[in-house]
Amino acid sequence: MTIPTYLRALGLFYRTVAPFTVVFSLLIFAAAAVGPFPTWPLPLTAGLLLTKLGTFLVIWYLSAQLRPHQYWFYLNLHIAPWQLWAGVLVADTLLFSAAVGLLHAVLQ
Amino acid sequence: MSKSFSYVLEADGMQLAFGERRILSDVYLRVETGQVVGLLGRNGCGKSTLLQTVFGGRHVADASVRVNGQRVVPAYRKPGLLNYLPQVPLLPEHLTLMEAARMLGVDAEQALANFPDIRAQVSRRIGELSGGTTRLVQVLLLLHAKTRFSLFDEPFSGVMPLHVETLGEMFQQAKAQKGILLTDHRYTEVLPLCDVVYLLHGGRLEQLPADPVLALRDRGYLAS
Repeated sequence: MTIPTYLRALGLFYRTVAPFTVVFSLLIFAAAAVGPFPTWPLPLTAGLLLTKLGTFLVIWYLSAQLRPHQYWFYLNLHIAPWQLWAGVLVADTLLFSAAVGLLHAVLQ
Repeated sequence: MSKSFSYVLEADGMQLAFGERRILSDVYLRVETGQVVGLLGRNGCGKSTLLQTVFGGRHVADASVRVNGQRVVPAYRKPGLLNYLPQVPLLPEHLTLMEAARMLGVDAEQALANFPDIRAQVSRRIGELSGGTTRLVQVLLLLHAKTRFSLFDEPFSGVMPLHVETLGEMFQQAKAQKGILLTDHRYTEVLPLCDVVYLLHGGRLEQLPADPVLALRDRGYLAS
């Protein structure tokens, strides 16, 4: 497996789980804005990142239930499922952090 | 990949049961480069499970997969060793045929050389191809990938008869470069291709004699 192949595969895989990660990110934003303890604009805290990381368990479960055969292509590229999920976790958490930081900078 | 050096893929030690039903219990499988090996058996007897276990996509306790005596578990992690076509669609639908070939390290023009009607569609997305064409493309790409072994789960499924014939010839050509393990219910097409035939029954894997037709008929796998 070369780095370009891994990145291309990661992009393909991210595309399939992105709808889930976007929905859960929006839920976190919504809970912060209109939840019982509104905190807006959302500060980038360890608790927030842990909440975001926690959503990946649900996303992993949903993905496994809805697309049980999704890994065969990637296995043929010598990429293990954990390598895909590690990449998604890092990329999506970075994007989420960037979005939170941007919102904070714009709204404060 | 050296043509002169022979590689031997062996798998054994697999124990798998679903409840009371024993799927794999007494299995020894051997595939050499230069061979087409057929794996036959009834629906649900564990053929796909066996292929997935050899590939490494399914974890089965105590499974031992070796190449030239060296343990390779999971085998898919070793670049250039083997690839696997599952029964389900393999390629992401939004990839073009050309992109899929590139990712798998295959020259699409060469892989599709015997199928000009499909070669003309290399820039189309996989999801835009017909089911039979998609299946054929998947088989061709894995067959032409630079791996020492290829495992195919029902490669002829959904492929039209004319293409099945050509595909059979390509299996014969490809075995000069690699070892092929395949399972399919189309015995008429599969048996003439195979150098070795295994029958999976009741969790046991039995190597059939050189002319397997009689043995298959005796066991009720062939009507005539």
